[in-house]
Amino acid sequence: MPQNLRLDKVGYINRDKKISFKFNGKKYFGYEGDTLASALLANGIHLIGRSFKYHRPRGFTGAGVDEPNAHVQLYSGAKTEPNVIATTVELVEGLVATSQNCWPSVSFDFGAINNLLNKFFPAGFYYKTFMWPKNFWYKIYEPIIRKAAGLGVAPLKPDPDRYEHKFEYCDVLIVGSGPSGLAGALAAAKNGARVILAEDKPRFGGSLLTDEVTIGNKKGKDWVDETISQLKSMPNVIVKNRSQVFGYYDHNMMVMSERTKDHVENSTEFTPRQKLWYIRAKEVIVSTGSIERPLVFGNNDRPGIMLASAAKEYMKVYGVLVGKKPIIFTNNDSAYDTAIEFKKNGIDPLVVDIRTNSESSVVQEAKNLNINIKFSHGIVNSKGYLRVNSATVGKLNDDRSGYESLENISCDCICVSGNWTPTVHLSSQSGNKLKFDEKINAFIPSKSRQNESTIGSANGSFTLKKSLEDGFSKGYELSNKITAKNIKGTTPTSNERNYAQHDKFWCMPLPKNKYYKRCVDFQNDVYVSDIELAVREGFRSIEHVKRYTTLGMATDQGKTSNLNGLQLVSNIENKIVPEVGHTTFRPPYTPVTIGAIVGREVGKHYRPTRKSPMHEWHEQNNAVFVDAGLWVRPRYYKQENETLLEAAKREATNVRKNVGVCDVTSLGKIDIKGPDCAEFLNRIYTNAWMKLPVGKARYGVMLREDGIVFDDGTTTRISENHFHMTTTTAQAVNVLAHLEYYLQVVWPELSVNVLSTTEQWAGAALAGPNSRNLLNKLFPEIDVSNEAIPFMGYKEANLFGVPARIFRISFSGELAYEINVESGYGIFMWEKIIELGKEMNIEPYGTEALSTLRIEMGHVAGSEIDGRVISSDLSLEGMLSKKKDFIGKRSLNREAFINPNREKIVGVVPLDKKSMIPEGSHLVSDNKASLPNPKLGHISASCWSVEYNNPFSLAILKDGKNKIGEKLYAVSPLKNKSIEVEIVSSHYVDPKGERVRS
Amino acid sequence: MQRYSIFSLIKNAFSNHQNWDVVWRDPEPKKEYDVVIVGGGGHGLATAYYLAKEHNITNVAILEKGWIGGGNVGRNTTILRSNYMWDPNGLFYEYGMKLWENLSQELNYNVMYSPRGIINLAHSDAQLNAYSRRGNSMRLNGIDAVMLGREELKKMIPFADFSTSARFPIFGGLMQPRGGTARHDAVAWGYARQADSMGVDIIQHCEVTGFDVRNGKIEGVQTSRGNIKTKKIGLCVAGSTSLLAEKLNMKLPIESHVLQACVSEPVKPFLNHVVTFGAGHFYCSQSDKGEMVMGGDLDGYNSYAQRGNLPTLQHVLSEGVAMFPNLSRLKILRTWGGIMDMSMDGSPVIDKTHIEGLYLNFGWCYGGFKATPVSGWTFAYTIAQNQTHELNSKYKLNRFNTGYLIDEKGVGTKTWIG
Amino acid sequence: MLEIKCPYCGKRSQNEFSYGGDASVKRPQLGKETSDKEWNDFVYFRNNPRGKHSELWHHVAGCRQWFKVLRNTATHEIFKTSKISEEL
Repeated sequence: MPQNLRLDKVGYINRDKKISFKFNGKKYFGYEGDTLASALLANGIHLIGRSFKYHRPRGFTGAGVDEPNAHVQLYSGAKTEPNVIATTVELVEGLVATSQNCWPSVSFDFGAINNLLNKFFPAGFYYKTFMWPKNFWYKIYEPIIRKAAGLGVAPLKPDPDRYEHKFEYCDVLIVGSGPSGLAGALAAAKNGARVILAEDKPRFGGSLLTDEVTIGNKKGKDWVDETISQLKSMPNVIVKNRSQVFGYYDHNMMVMSERTKDHVENSTEFTPRQKLWYIRAKEVIVSTGSIERPLVFGNNDRPGIMLASAAKEYMKVYGVLVGKKPIIFTNNDSAYDTAIEFKKNGIDPLVVDIRTNSESSVVQEAKNLNINIKFSHGIVNSKGYLRVNSATVGKLNDDRSGYESLENISCDCICVSGNWTPTVHLSSQSGNKLKFDEKINAFIPSKSRQNESTIGSANGSFTLKKSLEDGFSKGYELSNKITAKNIKGTTPTSNERNYAQHDKFWCMPLPKNKYYKRCVDFQNDVYVSDIELAVREGFRSIEHVKRYTTLGMATDQGKTSNLNGLQLVSNIENKIVPEVGHTTFRPPYTPVTIGAIVGREVGKHYRPTRKSPMHEWHEQNNAVFVDAGLWVRPRYYKQENETLLEAAKREATNVRKNVGVCDVTSLGKIDIKGPDCAEFLNRIYTNAWMKLPVGKARYGVMLREDGIVFDDGTTTRISENHFHMTTTTAQAVNVLAHLEYYLQVVWPELSVNVLSTTEQWAGAALAGPNSRNLLNKLFPEIDVSNEAIPFMGYKEANLFGVPARIFRISFSGELAYEINVESGYGIFMWEKIIELGKEMNIEPYGTEALSTLRIEMGHVAGSEIDGRVISSDLSLEGMLSKKKDFIGKRSLNREAFINPNREKIVGVVPLDKKSMIPEGSHLVSDNKASLPNPKLGHISASCWSVEYNNPFSLAILKDGKNKIGEKLYAVSPLKNKSIEVEIVSSHYVDPKGERVRS
Repeated sequence: MQRYSIFSLIKNAFSNHQNWDVVWRDPEPKKEYDVVIVGGGGHGLATAYYLAKEHNITNVAILEKGWIGGGNVGRNTTILRSNYMWDPNGLFYEYGMKLWENLSQELNYNVMYSPRGIINLAHSDAQLNAYSRRGNSMRLNGIDAVMLGREELKKMIPFADFSTSARFPIFGGLMQPRGGTARHDAVAWGYARQADSMGVDIIQHCEVTGFDVRNGKIEGVQTSRGNIKTKKIGLCVAGSTSLLAEKLNMKLPIESHVLQACVSEPVKPFLNHVVTFGAGHFYCSQSDKGEMVMGGDLDGYNSYAQRGNLPTLQHVLSEGVAMFPNLSRLKILRTWGGIMDMSMDGSPVIDKTHIEGLYLNFGWCYGGFKATPVSGWTFAYTIAQNQTHELNSKYKLNRFNTGYLIDEKGVGTKTWIG
Repeated sequence: MLEIKCPYCGKRSQNEFSYGGDASVKRPQLGKETSDKEWNDFVYFRNNPRGKHSELWHHVAGCRQWFKVLRNTATHEIFKTSKISEEL
């Protein structure tokens, strides 16, 4: 189609650069600087999609983010993006867009059958039906509804793009670069404030791009260009276009998304697609402008019917005529700008004005241009299925309840204006309670709750003069609070058309016996009749109306529809609008890409990965790793085709027979120093600590104040006033915060300091009967005998020149030592151990063998200390000191905790000595009992006992101490398993603990 | 009362829907009621309904400060489940599931109960074991649960991250097939409509300002619309419970926290289950409208603001993208916050109190929506019979003295972590 | 995102801190007789006002000091922060 809709000279597009793109499979051309919307309109295309519910044909309503209709799907495959508003898509070479929510095509859509049946699908119809028969909702009705709903198609592949975050601080953030925003930015910047000016659109200037005004004897657009280049030249100013400030959060934290890639023709793989800015601003100027409201009349939702301001923008910014036979339908003067613009470009518009007359200069100008105006008239209905082709225009009777006469007028577009709604979203999000302004029939901000100032048309001031004045004075005032530089400029003079008061009439009555659909929410198909029905049924609160009809819940969040809906409810209820109230404005102002919010925390970087200094060695030696919180630990070292169980058996057996080495770096380590250390530990742990000698370690259990076991570990007295605490890997962070809390908040009188040293030390545990021989080889200079380093002993020594700490502690139940060296020497230590241990048949062992060893010894770990057990449940009651108080002690004498039937840790062995009991099984006395079958306990950990060569499990069993020797069933219905078991002591191997002391 | 059906819908279509009745009346408060329920949320409305239906107590008022259904019942992620480990929770919520299954028919209002299955993903063998413990407990309690392997999950949710670049690979999952979703607003409205039809007065925009207590007995309630006499008051005000309890000089074992949720723009259906992420705290389902409904952690500090901050959402959505990397290109349409009455063991209280005629229903944490029917059912029983039912007998307030706590997660009293 | 003034480090964004709950909770003295009620109140019962709330925060990604904050739970406005040893 020839672009005879494109004007020759008007607009800010680059006519030297043609851009080709595809829409619904067909190739078209536009120019650099076009949006997808302007380019399609230039090609005469108005039909772009279908509405959500009735699949009515939809075109363009606006020219920006307020657009409720013109959604497309961009591209395909992993890069596809659904629900993109064509009015905000900048045209780039090769852009591919398709219509959504229609099949087989946008011009012939089967879904439109819903429109024929719309009588049966009023608001909330689904609450009243689909209830019979019972299962049909989930099985039949819901799948059909789900398939019909939704707009575009989600990508099913990972997003190939990347997103970045930026943190910024400033004195004054200005949101919106219209006249008031520019004035505010300039004044604040000149006064020395650090300023950020954010504009959502690619072009700065807001209404100045389209209004016939002068500022300081310059055309509006020229003043914009000059001001922007002045701001950009100032070092204290950041100027950002394509940047939507979408959320106003606590303590003046503003969040902005900047589009950095999609509009760029030759972007690289690593260009971030969007940047999310967290901006902490001392002051915020909200100069977000206003959005025109539609007028409501019969079939006001056809393609070709759009906002008057949008039609003007398409002409003035993009040089595109949205039609050649336009009707302008208005209740106010601003639409006359559009009429005049048409006329200037050689098109004869018809103006239909609800008002009886208007004396303003702009109307006079229109009259002088011989523009045909029908006062006291309104559009009653429109016709034309895929594009409007005529309008029924009626002369309103005196009380405006009906019409004196009706006539049919052909047209190819209708430009409507129902006056302007201030964009108060950010102001409202900041906590500012809105007030209703009778004069403009809309809500505006009232009292600021944060450092927020709303100015310009966002604040209901619609003249350029006032916007500039407010901008300059606010910019100065706010900046001066911060800079106190007193540099105050003068507001430039300005010239603009003058506009008279609008008429509050906006919803056209139906002629007698006509039931035209009058649309309020275009995307969600909410019509006047739906809102009337909701109120009739008693959904009288505006929130009920919204939820029942889905008014304002579409992807545009009611930018063009909410206020009309409100006015309608207030008309029906005979209330004034402020009594009806408004629904809450919630972030984001416009939809934000999830990837942008997430940033770089994706894939492997979703969370940090903590590795020990020996990690590479493990990798090179076929370690299979396991996640332990953020840590990655070797689970086993795979040999040939071993299974996990086989490897665990082999590694554990080697520990019991020879010697093994395990990387224990991930254990939490806390350095504790100060004269009151022992006293502090005495309060933290349940057992006694005052008399622990220097050079000795002790096992300790700590409780929460509610008496529940919190964590366990060993703590060693390095010197009189210096202790080294170990915690479990899982609780390391929490234990440190716990210690700090008691030291700083509860017992500040204790002179103790704590510091995490987890990452300072690399740890290796040597375990097995040969471990002392190996220790001897590693430390030939020291005496490693049982007398010199007894069980729970500690010694500092020299590992071939590297300072090391030796702890004689054991988790495996074997003779064992733990060696710590500074992290940087970890790999040196490890390789020395392997090298010197070779002749003793050393093998590294992973967490699975470690578990095996500790389970058959009856040592508790995370699967038992699960945040629900007390010491006695774990048979650790012997460690509860009777002589002193400690954290959580007072909770232990409560009824539930002294109940004789409480759980106890026990051992469990299958009677067949063959069946591994799945972890997470429960113990029951009758495996065939009817449900609910009472549970006596659960299997917390299972292993293959290498000592006895049969399966062994630990369990937490009700009244466990009296059940030793009994036979129960371990059942796992999930795995369809029931195993007959015998209850035994949890200390299956070496119950007297002789090995560790040997 | 008009009966809703396809036939009534067609019939009314021919009179242009002019003849539908109001869903509930808008009465002036009477001078006296047998029972006053404070709070017109899901639990309050359900309680009034069951008082009328099960106990024939119809002289009941529901006092609502704002508009009914405007609290957490109108701002949740619509998930229903009974996949609990501890018996008191499992058996309670399972009774609730049975009520859900028949609710649309019982209320003659389509609450869109959709048993699409809830899947808890596990990312290690240890987590699978913990889930097994819970799943086996469910099965022994007669609740449906199945274990899913990685390969089965690949077929059900192929767009989840099964790649080698996953930070926490998916090992398997626990599924409750009968878990699912319901249409939250419909639940509130359905209960309201039936309660109203049995004579319950739903009084909106009526704020409770005080209580009349004499000799340890409830005698009435003071409201912004005058004093109302009653001998029994049931509080169902979730996050605001502490504020009303303060008027009765009571301190409770709860903190109020804000929990955010969000929805994406609507897209054609691709996710047919409710899925939760195990290496974090994130849950997601796709509504019938096509929106991805998502939620996760609390904002983490006491709040009554019904609004949260972005870092929490960032954290939650990073979990979402870790689970479903394709979510990245979708757009967040709307975020909101609700006030959670976080109890010190993560479980609720439905009990009478030391004040005769005062009944409490609170501590739902972020699990209140699914409890709506069973909470109302047991609370109505407790109010009507002046004693707890077997189902809520473990939800007593004095468990914080006896130590019989029901800590499903084992995190203790740091409610903001739970 | 809240902006919290650590009494030791100055204003920082919320993500450097972790929350510690009701600051009015006072742990009964060690070794001292406490009634069941007193003890359970300490462990489980909390001030939960709508409005001014004194609470603990921990500067975990900073100086690791615990401190007190007076904050409005309805608006999130922070009135004051102080060291543990100081009056709020």
